[in-house]
Amino acid sequence: MIEIKKTYKNYVGGKYIRSESGKTFTLNLKNDSFEVPLTSKKDIRDAVTSSKAGFAKWSEISPYTKTQILYRLSEMIEGHKDSYIDLLVLGGSTKNQAKKDVETAIENIVWYAGLADKWEQVSGNLNPVNGEYFNISHQNPIGVVFSLNSDSNSLTSLLNSIIQPLTVGCSVISFSEESSIIALKFAEDINNSDFPPGSLNILSGQFEKIFEDVSKHVEINLVSICKIIPNEILKKIQENASSSVKRIINMPSEDGISSILPFLETKTVWHPKGT
Amino acid sequence: MVNWEYSESVESQDIVKIKDKYQNFIDGNFQQPNSKKYINTISPSTEEVLSKIVISNEKDVNNAIKSAQMGFEKWSKTSPHERSKYLFKLARLIQERSREFAVLESMDGGKPIKESRDFDLPQVAANFFYFAGWADKIDLSWGAKSLKPHGVVGQIIPWNFPLLMLSWKIAPALATGNTVVLKPAETTSLTALLFAELCEQAGIPDGVVNIITGDGTTGSLLVNHKDVNKIAFTGSTQVGKSIQKSLAGRDVGLTLELGGKAANIIYEDAAIDQAVEGVVNGIFFNQGHVCCAGSRLLLQESIHDEFVAKLEKRMQTLRVGNPLDKNTDIGAINSKEQLDKIEGLVNEGVSDGGKIFQTECELPGNGFWFKPTLFTDVQPSYSIAREEIFGPVLTTLTFRTPQEAIEIANNTEYGLSAGVWTEKGSKILWTADRLQAGVVWANTFNKFDPASPFGGYKESGFGREGGRQGLLSYLKAES
Repeated sequence: MIEIKKTYKNYVGGKYIRSESGKTFTLNLKNDSFEVPLTSKKDIRDAVTSSKAGFAKWSEISPYTKTQILYRLSEMIEGHKDSYIDLLVLGGSTKNQAKKDVETAIENIVWYAGLADKWEQVSGNLNPVNGEYFNISHQNPIGVVFSLNSDSNSLTSLLNSIIQPLTVGCSVISFSEESSIIALKFAEDINNSDFPPGSLNILSGQFEKIFEDVSKHVEINLVSICKIIPNEILKKIQENASSSVKRIINMPSEDGISSILPFLETKTVWHPKGT
Repeated sequence: MVNWEYSESVESQDIVKIKDKYQNFIDGNFQQPNSKKYINTISPSTEEVLSKIVISNEKDVNNAIKSAQMGFEKWSKTSPHERSKYLFKLARLIQERSREFAVLESMDGGKPIKESRDFDLPQVAANFFYFAGWADKIDLSWGAKSLKPHGVVGQIIPWNFPLLMLSWKIAPALATGNTVVLKPAETTSLTALLFAELCEQAGIPDGVVNIITGDGTTGSLLVNHKDVNKIAFTGSTQVGKSIQKSLAGRDVGLTLELGGKAANIIYEDAAIDQAVEGVVNGIFFNQGHVCCAGSRLLLQESIHDEFVAKLEKRMQTLRVGNPLDKNTDIGAINSKEQLDKIEGLVNEGVSDGGKIFQTECELPGNGFWFKPTLFTDVQPSYSIAREEIFGPVLTTLTFRTPQEAIEIANNTEYGLSAGVWTEKGSKILWTADRLQAGVVWANTFNKFDPASPFGGYKESGFGREGGRQGLLSYLKAES
């Protein structure tokens, strides 16, 4: 019997779509190969439009509900554990490595699910100002985040490149190259976890073809680079970013509270006290 | 018109001793610079030459960085508790010599003595007190042991709050264990150089604080120096962008505190008289040379006429003149260059079709002055409604609904500060949540405190100064 092979597509605005360019590229895994979308500049612009709308919705959702949606994501992955393991094995992992990787990813999601309704209590505080004022510093999500995934054949790596901004209410455009298959597969569980459309968009392609547009796009508020890239490309990205004071994070921390701080803006509100 | 005549009450300049010429403060003492290029620093209220400062060159910047590197060795070996005590000592010395600093600040920068004396200097001392106490409690600040100082920090500050910006920069940098090379603005270097004397007096280890004077070329040398570990800049968005660009591809930390065009939203249910006071303070404080100035007045349509009438009446009572006169509300514009910029934008506002109101007042013959100015009948597209004027010029826009107020307020590339005035608590919270601004003043404006983080969203920069969040600007996570 002939094998029926799945077509992997980009995931934008809650829909599975091909690149508008019609182009794909061949992803040669250790034990298989796939045709995946070669994201174009136009696709990036569309994804940003979607992410802006996604940000408006996702950031408005209460922290309590965010916790439940993120927890739901861990449930979905748990339910599809075997298919992730199969894909990771196609990518070259041993079965044991793959199993451990998926389990770690699930544990991480659960950790962040529990942080979604608490981080403001850790990163914000009252300020004891000298005078009769109520003064509080709290944080807002920074907005639309573009995140470049590493090439690791790993669900955990993918997760660690998106979960921190998502947890605090940013929308994320996740871009993968060599590790696209696992990312595009992951889109299915995002789709089934009640995330509002556009809150997480998943694209595959070649970063060198789109980094200029990403770093110049004024509606992307932050670019998070979770992969070691050549310094001349990093330099170009940072130069382009300066034209709109865009934030660039190179290899963000994955450690506790430090992992979410880059995705936050601190807002301080003053009000006089009196009778 | 009420007659507001009053007797002069001019603060004496005797308390200040200005040298004919200043050197850089490097490695714990004033050193003969390598550069031979000196410029005059003048009083903007009289145009009288106060002194000469050097435009430091590459060799001077090298020396300062080298000194800060050696200082870092010593400062790293100084226990956090000892560092804390040094900062406490500086704070006390500032309090003790505060009148001297205040007079010098007003002479060199043009700001009214009542502001330098009652606002700038108390805030400077408070900054050192506040961060002194953090120096030995960094572990408690974010519950992370991995936070470490950057090392040598280059700091570039503007001319609007010269000594206050110095304290915002130096106090947290030292508390977190960094050493600094600070470059004050070329029009207002004198209080920074006087501060250098305090460092000597306090016995701060040599090389921990280095102060070099110069203009943009010196700043650029500092930014591009291969041994600088972090840059902290306060100034214009344009220069901030060029610094961000210069640091591309380099492993150098950066925080930017840039321009603003703050909306000051007045809802129809605000306490109008209080709001008028707040609006006046929001824009005319420090001649409007304030990055977070409430320069866009957003009035709900129903109160526009009443509010503008009261505002014009209140503006007319503002006293413009000699900064050293204790009665003065509005001092001199900091420089000829800035005055030209303000005049250019105001002329553009008039030719665009804005209706201009300026107070009737006599301006002194010498020096740089600008009358308090209010624009009404302004479209959001006018440059006076979009660009940072950095002067005593207020632009009025109107709105009908709270949603529209938010849209107008956020329709700018800036995001430093905003104001909201209403007697309804829920409306304050609703509005504050939606404003894209690092500081929101509700039923008040232009309040500052070392414990209160300050800094912008969007093109107003990144990083915070002040408060627990301000510590993060001088620490990096080390694995």
